[in-house]
Amino acid sequence: MKAAAIAVLVIVALAGLLAPAIAPYDYSRQFRETPNAAASSQFPMGTDDLGRDRFSRLVYATRVSVLLAPAAALVSILIALLFSAITATRSRWADRGLGALTTLSLSLPWIFLFIILRAVLPLNTRAIQSILITFGLMGVAGWAWPARVFTASVRQMKQSGWLMQARAAGMSRWRIARVHAWPHLRALAVAQFRILIPAYILSEASLGLLGLGVAEPLPSWGNLLAELQHPDRVRANLWVLAPLGLLMLVMIALEALQPRAAPGQLS
Amino acid sequence: MPLLNRLALNLTTLVAVVLAGGFIAAALVRYSPGFDSIPEDLNTALSPQTLAALHAKRNRENSLPRFYVRYLAGASRGDFGVSQSLGQPVATLLRQRAPVTARLVLWGVAGGCLLAAFLAWLAVWTRGAALSVSVSGLLLAIPPAVLGLAFFFYQAPLGLALSLGLLPRLFGTLRAIFEDCYASPALLAARTRGVGALGIATRYVLGAAASKLAALLGIAAVLAFGLAIPIEALCGVPGIGALTIQAATARDMPLLCALALAVTFLVTLVHTAGEIAIGDST
Repeated sequence: MKAAAIAVLVIVALAGLLAPAIAPYDYSRQFRETPNAAASSQFPMGTDDLGRDRFSRLVYATRVSVLLAPAAALVSILIALLFSAITATRSRWADRGLGALTTLSLSLPWIFLFIILRAVLPLNTRAIQSILITFGLMGVAGWAWPARVFTASVRQMKQSGWLMQARAAGMSRWRIARVHAWPHLRALAVAQFRILIPAYILSEASLGLLGLGVAEPLPSWGNLLAELQHPDRVRANLWVLAPLGLLMLVMIALEALQPRAAPGQLS
Repeated sequence: MPLLNRLALNLTTLVAVVLAGGFIAAALVRYSPGFDSIPEDLNTALSPQTLAALHAKRNRENSLPRFYVRYLAGASRGDFGVSQSLGQPVATLLRQRAPVTARLVLWGVAGGCLLAAFLAWLAVWTRGAALSVSVSGLLLAIPPAVLGLAFFFYQAPLGLALSLGLLPRLFGTLRAIFEDCYASPALLAARTRGVGALGIATRYVLGAAASKLAALLGIAAVLAFGLAIPIEALCGVPGIGALTIQAATARDMPLLCALALAVTFLVTLVHTAGEIAIGDST
């Protein structure tokens, strides 16, 4: 099962990376004489209402959604690690302050927090800017869960016998962090990273459906799914469901490789 | 920690979080685009010096601390200002929309908890987790908004779509709670005494895990609200979720901030109640 899941993910990631070589056309190229065309040898999945090749757009969308979600997850993990490092080395007040900030962030449903932050930033942006805003905000808004996990682990470490022994032996803070603390946190960081990736892929899909994600003409799984709001198009061409199928396949593969998530984390 | 101390600590946290949330909300409104413009900007008869003096006066009157205090004072009276995009008092909008979302969330939570509990019970009691895990994994792979759209087009109840979206997010925790209960020595002893499945479920599982389940109910309500936002917006349900998206796309800061404040308060209240419930059991 795990081998199959890894194989699926590798194939999908490679398809995303090699999108320009695999896709027959550019994602924004329009064939104005053939809008809403059915699947054919020229257009394997047909065309959308603007005459763009669905298959090419799906391949490019895979690159955006699958490759940028880990980048956003990495941003969250790095912010969380920074906060837990501050908790470990600074005063009790810093610890309490960051604890309150974490509670505040966790008090709002994730998508609600994202929408508020998104509203503060410009809505009409260029495609590349919209990618940076969408995934950047996901990374920034999603720091609280891993931070809570890391901070709890750091607090546990601060009370451990081996840390006191290391301090008594005269080891510097940096050496304790590098040699003793990091190996503990690394395993947690990898687990949190793996939990955040599917959460961000799914979140991008929801935001794209709402028109708050990656901007057209750049495709992402989210904005391709927006076509599902037109049932007549789905009935006319079942390939409209291809992004959903691919998204589900990737999510199931990621799920098969998951450690158990904390309740509420995949929100 | 004694109950009173714990209550005081939780209430202090609640007040601190709401005050911080209110401050962020006020800052967002204060520094939102267009806040510094005044009607006199359109008056061509005024000199640049006069306009600069008027702007300086407005800035003094609306410094962030003053603005925050005024905002909080208004909010405590239920006055959240007027929506820029809808032209109605924000409090009226909240009063109109909240029951719609509450109904949807209530149905979603009830259905989601029951379905997740059934699957979790099936996984633990029958020791055959494959079916439950598969169903939960499959539902987790579908964006809840897509589920909502499918239910909307087939005219099925949206509360059920919300339940199915919630199910996989509760399943893992419920399964862990049930596994703990079913592994307890008291339950093993009851089984050897020949207590039936219903007796075990009610006395040794639901009874033992009541506080954890109550806390999970709070988490489920918060999760359901998050899932309801895209479902409401896409399916045309006139609730708080649709209002949030409307406020965000219209950059209606007074409305958005009131929503943030109200949601922060409610969610923190639910979390606090959950923490107190869990604390009682330990």
